[in-house]
Amino acid sequence: MKKLLLSLAMLSGTSAMAADELHLYNWNNYIAPETVKQFESECKCKLVQDYYGSMEEMLAKLAAGAKGYDLLVPTGFALEPLLKQGKLAGLDKARLPNLKNISRQYLDTAFDKGNQYSVPYAFTTTIIGYNDARLKEAGVSVDGWATVFDPKVLQKIKGKVTVLDDPREVFVAALKYLGYPANSTDEAQWKAAQQVILQAKPYWAAFNSQSYIKELTVGNIWVAHGYSNDFFQANQDTKAAKRPFSIVPAIPKEGASLSLDSMVVLKNAPRPDLAYKFVNFMLEGKNSAVLTNMTGSGNPNSDALKYVKPELTKMSTVFPSAAQSSKLEMLKDQDAKTRRLMNRMWTEIKVK
Amino acid sequence: MFKKNLGKWLISWPPTVYLLIFFAVPALIMVGASLRFPGDYGGLLPLSHVDEATGRTIIDVTRDNWRDFFTLENYTRLGSDAVYLQLFVKSFGYAALTTLICLVMAYPLAWLIARSDQKIRDLLVLLVILPFWSNFLVRVYAWMIILGPNSAFTKAINLLLGLVGIAPQTFMFSPFAVIVCLVYVHLPFMVLPLYANLEKHDLSLLDAAQDLGANAWQRFWRVTWPLSLPGVYAGAALVFIPALGIFAVPDLLGGTDGIMIGNLIKQQFLESRDWPFGSVLSIVLTVSAIGLAGLAALIGRASTRGGDE
Repeated sequence: MKKLLLSLAMLSGTSAMAADELHLYNWNNYIAPETVKQFESECKCKLVQDYYGSMEEMLAKLAAGAKGYDLLVPTGFALEPLLKQGKLAGLDKARLPNLKNISRQYLDTAFDKGNQYSVPYAFTTTIIGYNDARLKEAGVSVDGWATVFDPKVLQKIKGKVTVLDDPREVFVAALKYLGYPANSTDEAQWKAAQQVILQAKPYWAAFNSQSYIKELTVGNIWVAHGYSNDFFQANQDTKAAKRPFSIVPAIPKEGASLSLDSMVVLKNAPRPDLAYKFVNFMLEGKNSAVLTNMTGSGNPNSDALKYVKPELTKMSTVFPSAAQSSKLEMLKDQDAKTRRLMNRMWTEIKVK
Repeated sequence: MFKKNLGKWLISWPPTVYLLIFFAVPALIMVGASLRFPGDYGGLLPLSHVDEATGRTIIDVTRDNWRDFFTLENYTRLGSDAVYLQLFVKSFGYAALTTLICLVMAYPLAWLIARSDQKIRDLLVLLVILPFWSNFLVRVYAWMIILGPNSAFTKAINLLLGLVGIAPQTFMFSPFAVIVCLVYVHLPFMVLPLYANLEKHDLSLLDAAQDLGANAWQRFWRVTWPLSLPGVYAGAALVFIPALGIFAVPDLLGGTDGIMIGNLIKQQFLESRDWPFGSVLSIVLTVSAIGLAGLAALIGRASTRGGDE
């Protein structure tokens, strides 16, 4: 009888423990370890994390029926399929007093009008990163997409440029270079972008999404089209290796694409109460700043400014100026026709 | 009779079932996929949907609208533009060149191992297999460092090329880098079957040839080489077929025009979300690889028969 009581007590103990867990399904390396500790001590609960490497992976896992997650941090365009599938819970903003910290330009996006379901977490921009010393020697100054697309500029740095191996991002860069909207559905504009890419391609070293951080860091590649967080990482590595150059991120003057990652609560979340606590916690300026200090991520939180390291506050990739912000566009999920057009043109680009 | 066969069946059913499930079934699924349209978020355009109210699955395809679900367009697309054919030809060229270089490099090595002392022979074979102990991608990354513009190797080569006035050359992100790495990755697959073959040769045949007045070249070309042909064919198949479909090496080392057919297929499934066209490309690649292997077998059979006469 004693044994039975003991095991019953243990059972109830474990279930109580399990109940005080928040399950976060997040991007890899997208929360600081000290933030996790801080949150756990504040909420007196455990934060259990699971990671994804792409939106496709996350959507596929949820579509396959994965359960038990409370929170996700999807990129804007993935909100649409999540909403369509009815996965998300509407947010009660009265429980998120810190929402006031988010700058207005990151609220009320096309993906979620009025932020009924999502709250901004952090963002990255897809821009140009370059080796300052080498470009100075080559006599190239970076102010716009011409550095990546104009043959006249490229001939000075032939074979030292990589672009992402990602059709959407490369086409968007070319569209912006031509002054067209990033979410264009006009076939003529896409064709023009394809011509720009084909003319620039002979001067590029490679389509590279996997190793451009390393290539920049060791100085093999001087200009890369890539993600702002990656350029931050490359520059940190360059500094650590004491190399005689820096990797500088630059938002092109024509504008670029911005990926806003937001926190959403799942409809079938086991612990929505803890999820709200977490969202409100991450909306605090000082917690949001820790992430930026670690990854160089763009910060939508106006209250974070005073906690971000001084050298980062000046970076336009972390806090873009109003003029830059007006030219940063979030990518929408493409309609089937435009996507097929883009895929065909991309295949032609790759094969030619 | 039945009892005799029963043993054979018992032993052979696991590999047979394994092949049936993991080769034949996916191949059939691929043929099915190649006739359909891509879905909006990847995958294929669904043929049915679940009715929200009743929870029942409803088939959308009817006798009148099946053309909206099934198509031969993915196949006609392949023929509509010469670029796809060019890419196939280029990939076959890369794979053939890799096979040839592997053969030229592996043959002397395999011969050396086969003729060396029993004691060090096993050690030499072990050394050939040694690279397999590290991950394939790690080895490719090693080549990225070796061929990078700031590596000692590249600098040394450019110093030499500078003497002839054609420096500096870049090796990274070029067809040269792809071929070098393809040869490196596949070399053991050529060495091992050749070694297995050469090791079994009866050396008294060479003595006999010498007694009959054959010089070293004649002894090789008229005795050793014809006898080693099965090993050559096996090695060539083991190198050519994987090299044909590879995508990681051109992805990491190839430049903007370095892609092979494997990259195009991967791109259809991942970035482009066009599974049907990816299936068509895979089917064409599989069929042409099987066709080529069949052709090689035919030639091999014909030549060995010729040797018997």
